[in-house]
Amino acid sequence: MAQFLTEAMGTLSDAGSLFVVAAGLTLVFGAMRVINLAHGSFYMYGAFLMTTFVGTSSGLRFWWSILLAALVVGALGLVVQLGVVRFVVGKEPLTQLVATFAVFYILADIGLHIWGDGARTVMAPLAVSSSFTLAGAYLPVYDLVIIGCAVLVGLALWLVLGHTSLGWMIRAAVDDPEILQSGGVNLRRLHLGVFTAGALLAALAGAIVTPQISVAPGMDQSIIVTSLLVVVIGGLGSVVGTALAALIIGIADTVGTLVAPNWAATFMYFAVILVLVVRPWGLFGTPER
Amino acid sequence: MQFTLKSKGRARGLLAMATVSTMVVASGAFVSATANASSGGTVTIGESTTLSGSIAELGQTGLEGVQFAAATINAHGGLLGKQIKVVSADDAATPATGASNARNFILNDHAVAIFGPVVSSVAAAEEPIATQYKVPIFFHTSNDVALLTSDFTKYAFQVVPNTVMEPRAAAAYLAHAVGKKKITIGTFAPNYSFGTSTVAGFIQALKDLHVNYTLVNQQFPPLEATNIAPYLSALVAAHPQYVFNAQFGGDLVTFSKQAAQYGFFKHTKVIAMYSASPLEALGSQAPAGAIGFDRAPFWAAGMTGMNGAGMASFITAFKAKYHAYPSAWAIMAYTAVQTWAYGVNKAHTFAGAKVSAVLSGATVPTIRGPLYLRACDHQANVPEYVGTVSSSMNTKYHLHLWESNIFVAQASQIMLTCKQSLALRG
Amino acid sequence: MALSMNDQPRAALTTTDHTAPRATPARRALRPMAIVVGLIVLVVLGMTLSPSNALELQYATSLALFAVATNLMLGFGGLVSFGQGVFYGVGAYTVALGWMHHSLSFGEAMVVAPFLGAAIAVVLGALALRTRRLYFALLTLTLSQLAYVIAENQANFTGGTNGVFGSMVPTWLLDPRNSFLFTLALVAVSIAILWKVTRSPFGLVLRAIRDNRSRVEALGVNVFAHELAAFVVSGFFCSVAGTLFVVYSQSSYPELLNWTSSGVPIFMAVIGGMYSFLGPVLGAFVYEFANHFLIQYTQDWQLVLGVVLLVIVLLRPDGLAGAGSAVAARVRHLRTVRATHDERPGVAETGEGDAS
Repeated sequence: MAQFLTEAMGTLSDAGSLFVVAAGLTLVFGAMRVINLAHGSFYMYGAFLMTTFVGTSSGLRFWWSILLAALVVGALGLVVQLGVVRFVVGKEPLTQLVATFAVFYILADIGLHIWGDGARTVMAPLAVSSSFTLAGAYLPVYDLVIIGCAVLVGLALWLVLGHTSLGWMIRAAVDDPEILQSGGVNLRRLHLGVFTAGALLAALAGAIVTPQISVAPGMDQSIIVTSLLVVVIGGLGSVVGTALAALIIGIADTVGTLVAPNWAATFMYFAVILVLVVRPWGLFGTPER
Repeated sequence: MQFTLKSKGRARGLLAMATVSTMVVASGAFVSATANASSGGTVTIGESTTLSGSIAELGQTGLEGVQFAAATINAHGGLLGKQIKVVSADDAATPATGASNARNFILNDHAVAIFGPVVSSVAAAEEPIATQYKVPIFFHTSNDVALLTSDFTKYAFQVVPNTVMEPRAAAAYLAHAVGKKKITIGTFAPNYSFGTSTVAGFIQALKDLHVNYTLVNQQFPPLEATNIAPYLSALVAAHPQYVFNAQFGGDLVTFSKQAAQYGFFKHTKVIAMYSASPLEALGSQAPAGAIGFDRAPFWAAGMTGMNGAGMASFITAFKAKYHAYPSAWAIMAYTAVQTWAYGVNKAHTFAGAKVSAVLSGATVPTIRGPLYLRACDHQANVPEYVGTVSSSMNTKYHLHLWESNIFVAQASQIMLTCKQSLALRG
Repeated sequence: MALSMNDQPRAALTTTDHTAPRATPARRALRPMAIVVGLIVLVVLGMTLSPSNALELQYATSLALFAVATNLMLGFGGLVSFGQGVFYGVGAYTVALGWMHHSLSFGEAMVVAPFLGAAIAVVLGALALRTRRLYFALLTLTLSQLAYVIAENQANFTGGTNGVFGSMVPTWLLDPRNSFLFTLALVAVSIAILWKVTRSPFGLVLRAIRDNRSRVEALGVNVFAHELAAFVVSGFFCSVAGTLFVVYSQSSYPELLNWTSSGVPIFMAVIGGMYSFLGPVLGAFVYEFANHFLIQYTQDWQLVLGVVLLVIVLLRPDGLAGAGSAVAARVRHLRTVRATHDERPGVAETGEGDAS
């Protein structure tokens, strides 16, 4: 039981942070039909900005640093949208992939100049950096913080997308852009808002996981691969699918390390292949025309 | 892939470019080039190591050790009348980049000796290059036993305790501490040759010492993994009493911080490379009571294997120059350059084949004391140091270090015999 | 235009093909001559450059094949595969593991590797081609990463993260000039075969599918079979390129298989021009030499690559080759203009500048 609890908690926390990053990716795709390979860069910038803002402090500064990091990266997202992404909306997938991959390279290089090539760590405030006992298992308090954050993000997206007119516009942006525009909606501004929100989510995830990882160059690349897997399994554009897929990937990873450590890393890839072979457009996606 | 990984940044000088344009047309010209191209009062040696990423500290202080040794020799009139020039490059912990660096050193910079990387897999990639061009290569950080057994070449030398010696020392310390008690053990190591072979060495040593253990969990996260949470939670969930951890540098620091979030150190004794710099990085979070091992702790100066002429003055001079005590990596790198210089002086030439031949079976005076490089596999007879992480500040060095009862595992106790070594060569 | 033999993109920037008279007899003779001259220049360079530069040239040559083979799918089939690294890696690992496990000699491995790559392509292609467009790109990326982690984790068989290093190449190939000539010959033959493939009826149908999939489908053509065939041929030659990596580096390691490795030939094709057959060759040389030399002067290779890719993809989707032929077309056009309107000779000079 204790072992199960430890594993379950770790899985949920991993799935939680993964969901927050991937939600940003899928949100952008849902509204703009663009897969942003530079999404991982936003995640990395969130984490690195966190190391800058928090420094060596272990106090309350931690919390407002998360917010600040997310906002700064949101602004960066704004720049990327205006400077690059808006030109590739509606273009071929290849054009979009290469353009955003180019942004990925550029941001990686700039990141190296700002933060260097070493690894950094961030300490969570003492109140959340200890562990608690449940049924004989020692569980990190901080896992609860991450899970809580993911739940909040999920709820917020559900409310906004499903129950507001803004949500309707975002969903309609791809299917009925003409209707939207004839209704007086500025599509360009809508794209700008969605892209910024996507960057913000990536940075939020990057900032919130800092106490549990070492922040280093290259994390942009590993997270983009994993979050691509998540959004593909869930179905491009589906937030619900993304949540489910994040859990699937988290569980695949944990079960992998338990059952066949030597093959653990392959489990999530097999999950993707399995899903796509059965449903070539993901669990909650729609077939491409 | 090489073209993307190279871009992690190399600290190569423009001087290298100048020599690139030199055309070497005659076939097989490189081999002779290495021996005679070092005219003009300088001779070049190359240090390709990991200078970026979470384990960069090992490479950077190792490079300092090489540079400091070259500067010291230069200050005393150089080697065979020539000043030593050190060129360096970052291998980004990637075998292909390391191999390419080594090749560039030899072909473009005309380096006459190569000094070794942090990561054993990179070392394994550089070894055939050194052999191909007949340039001696000195491993002062990477220590996979395979480098001098299955991959043996007469051009390679190792001045660190290898992956048999190091875990044997840690196992001996543990065996002494637990006696006949029944214990549970977990392992945690980076997933490449060094990690797997160190862990295998540790388990084998426990068997040989008749420790009554049960292996409850083994994890092999990738080297320089940013997120080890899934591996760590699996380890924590298994509740081992002891964990042998073969991580190092920033990876070990991350492990220690995250494990503390699980309250791991309250119930588990971790056995790991807790040398000065991870302990310094952890500060008050340093896991008191954990078992640390180290290849050349400066604070053991005066003990066996750390008592050569000039050790004390080396530490003082190094501290004055770099404003930090020399790490084990710096000390071993310094020793490696001393070893090569000894060989050059004895052979009266920089030619790799002759220098290597002279060093095989030689006893070299170094700051650590005399190092014997046995002829059968070129492994130096260096000891390993094991101790318990202290809960209080060391009053002399103002760092959290070890309790004073340091255990020195002598090379003779932990080394493979020549027969065993040759058997591994296959 | 879609079904015509020329290599222009369907989204062509229009400056070229309408105005320029295609393939006049003189121009038809020009192309093979240019190729022969190019080959001679390469051989001379390979013989005279310093060993490390000659090695670099050899490497770029092998990458050219990787790029052209990838572009068979990308430019001609309209299939964005982020998984060609799998076949590149299979080529390299066949030689390396054959050596490590004493199961294949170098010569045997060189022959086996492409067929192994093609066989794997049949399986992976059948899987991946169930998906379309973006999903196809992402599924091939997944396959690439899967191959990568398998190579990393199955250390007993693959050598793990270390990769495989050693004297797996015959001694005569260690001489940089021999290995360069060997590489060049193999690459030239392979590219010639690929050229034939793109000129064949099969190549024609492939381009028709790229341009108008549903129409070709309606004509009763088995689209899946054609795309799978392209996948397999591409996999075959990507594996050949992979074996040449071993000739270059005497090693094989997991990173050859991953998605960034798969991205490299795509970038080369995009830079050089994916709608022209030899564009990727140009891209490979530009990419690799820019990389090699920039890294020695600046740490900012990623920045440069990123900016170049952005500029090309936003302004010249037909790459350097497209830009080049646009300039050439403009020049030709202006020459005709000048010939007919002798009274305005000054235009040519300014016009040439504008064309790029």
